[in-house]
Amino acid sequence: MKDILMGNDAIALALIHANVDMISGYPGTPSSEILGNFQKFKDKFGVDAYAQWATNEKVGFEVAYAGAIAGRTTCATMKQVGLNVASDALMSASYIGLKGAMLLIVADDPGFHSSQTEQDSRSFAKFAKIPVLDPATPDEAYNMVKLGIEISKKFETVTMLRPVMRVCHAREICEVDEKLDFNPQKGEFKREIKRWAAVPPAGRFRQGLEQFERIEAIKEYNWNELIEPKIKKLQGAKTLCLTSGTGNGYVIEALEEMKIEADVLKLDMPYPLPKEKIEALFVNYEQVIVFEETYPCIEEQLSSPKLHGKLTNDVHKIDEFTKDKVLAAFSNVGLIEKNQFYKSAKYADELPVRPPNLCPGCPHRDVYYSVMKVFKKKKSIYPSDIGCYTLGLNQGAIDTVLCMGGSISMASGFSIADPSKTVVATLGDSTFMHSGVSPLINAVYQNHKFVLLILDNSTTAMTGRQKTPERINPSKIDIKKIVEGCGVECHEYEYTPNVDKTIDFMKFLKTKYENATGPVVAVIREFCILDKERAPEKLPQVFAEVDEDKCVECDICTTLYKCPPMNYNENHKIEIDPFLCIGCSACLDDVCPTDAFIKVEK
Amino acid sequence: MKYQVVIAGIGGQGAVFLVKVLSIAASLKDQKCLGTENHGMSQRGGSVSCYVKVGDFHSPAIDEGQADLLIALEGNEGLRNIQYLEKTKGTIIVNADSKFPKIEYKTIKIDAFSKARNKEFPIQALNVYMLGITLARDPNFPFSLNDIEKAIKQMNAKMAAKNIEVLHQAIEDARNI
Repeated sequence: MKDILMGNDAIALALIHANVDMISGYPGTPSSEILGNFQKFKDKFGVDAYAQWATNEKVGFEVAYAGAIAGRTTCATMKQVGLNVASDALMSASYIGLKGAMLLIVADDPGFHSSQTEQDSRSFAKFAKIPVLDPATPDEAYNMVKLGIEISKKFETVTMLRPVMRVCHAREICEVDEKLDFNPQKGEFKREIKRWAAVPPAGRFRQGLEQFERIEAIKEYNWNELIEPKIKKLQGAKTLCLTSGTGNGYVIEALEEMKIEADVLKLDMPYPLPKEKIEALFVNYEQVIVFEETYPCIEEQLSSPKLHGKLTNDVHKIDEFTKDKVLAAFSNVGLIEKNQFYKSAKYADELPVRPPNLCPGCPHRDVYYSVMKVFKKKKSIYPSDIGCYTLGLNQGAIDTVLCMGGSISMASGFSIADPSKTVVATLGDSTFMHSGVSPLINAVYQNHKFVLLILDNSTTAMTGRQKTPERINPSKIDIKKIVEGCGVECHEYEYTPNVDKTIDFMKFLKTKYENATGPVVAVIREFCILDKERAPEKLPQVFAEVDEDKCVECDICTTLYKCPPMNYNENHKIEIDPFLCIGCSACLDDVCPTDAFIKVEK
Repeated sequence: MKYQVVIAGIGGQGAVFLVKVLSIAASLKDQKCLGTENHGMSQRGGSVSCYVKVGDFHSPAIDEGQADLLIALEGNEGLRNIQYLEKTKGTIIVNADSKFPKIEYKTIKIDAFSKARNKEFPIQALNVYMLGITLARDPNFPFSLNDIEKAIKQMNAKMAAKNIEVLHQAIEDARNI
């Protein structure tokens, strides 16, 4: 049956069609919709499966992995930087193996669209010695989910599916199963202490040897099942393009559109590769070019003087593919002359940049504005974290962004290294749950003096508003209690769209900080403006306009407050875009030094 | 048949909605279709550009100089993506006022913001409005009004009537451009 699906829809549907009955993970663009859609399909089809967000990727991986040890068919989803968090578990799981099946889905983000690194999870799979499948389109992702589960079962190993953003968020007409025949497995843990609790050195050494054997067997499988059937279709051209994932589509289109002759061999499983057998194919070619995103994962597994790629500086090394980059590689190896076919002039004049911004009415904006009013920039350091609130950068209220939970440990580090400044760290509730607790305990027991603001909107907002643990189970989980459990008082502030009150709370924290010997922690109870359950009742629906006579072009609202509806008009006066203003009324209080923002009288 | 569309706008304007409508329209006509959308950080009021490729394609992205059509939900975002248009036959359908500069591409311009300000249509339906202008003014557009109406109904039956009303209004307005 044909169905028009986004990549992450296709993956979620395939998981159900592949009988996956346990799925866990942590949201992260571009992976987030996989688990979310699985939950929707689960409800729609009424299937009995576990599908829950974990507090972080490592937890998600371990829940799914234990399921697979107990014989279930499981899945963990995350983005590529999430795999860094889950990597400790993965590295050992790869030695130990499993009994049921486990597909580890890691979505990569070539081109840094929504990520702090461009790392290639295929290379991570190579490092961990687990097989990895690299789909090129949503339709292929659908089929590779099933294949991945099959490989995981057959070889008793965690198997990775590595879709990139241009697969996860691509949309295609896919061929999917018509009938749903969902058979959840009954899990049964079978005690096998020597395997599940293998003790180093002897136990793990033995498993290390098994790991090598397994990888050799998977190489055979890769050749017999996935590569050899494609060999007879090769046309006998002088150039061979080895492709992986999305790289394949760009190469095929460029070859077709430019009428260039070359053979294309797509490697569905870029690791582990049957090196000798692939290299034996090279005899018939003058040159071989590898097209893959984003690390030279395939290229590093092969060696030949005919081989061209990133390591030989013939293929681009950073950013996502374009057909223009494919042509550049063709010309670098001498297959074609330099070619400008996929080049066209950009608009010549400068255009105003439009970076992502906190939404109109977002409580984070008021918090950052108030932080800077009270903890002056010259005398402060502002470490922050990963989430919507990272966009406080636009207001100048963030000095460092590293990784999930990094704000708290870095606040410790800065407070030790540069004690003359006040360190004010910010992170969200989901990030706090993810990896904020252990650095807070660290700071409390060592008496690191800084201010920590936990911006609690009770949702993982940036990735599509997944519900957080304290939102789902507020009677049991509360950030204030967690903070107190870490050994420090937790101040609490209920946000209202009244900047004066938020500033007063920051002043209160400042006095606390002056007398403190350790961290001063506050949870700010906010809401996400896009949260249809909570936001409407919090919004006063009081709209602002500008008294042009009072506006003196001081730039305070356009630099320190940065609300998207506020822009200068042709008269060099601030104007509020009525299409964007959401009626939070916050700017009416403190923001304008000349009180130019006034209430719209209806 | 091959037809490539770039949809440019600002996060929140509903560019992704148009990708969905066009891909459903393609599937209803039994055409192959590959598109790509923006999610995550780019949704927060930043620049977005989505692609729809109807016909026999293998990669979801569009290269410079290739697009048959650029639907720009806002003027500057149209200019920011102008290099994607095919140089000789590419058309830009843009929501912009009289200040929009003269460019060397076939340009269909309408000031949809001012129409929305005059309450002629709800601003939330800007995406559908611009699709209506496209239907009326791009002779090479591979879908008919009927195709698009069907796709809109399939996508969200509840909202379909309102959206189709805006679509018809845009087609009417396009006569006066």
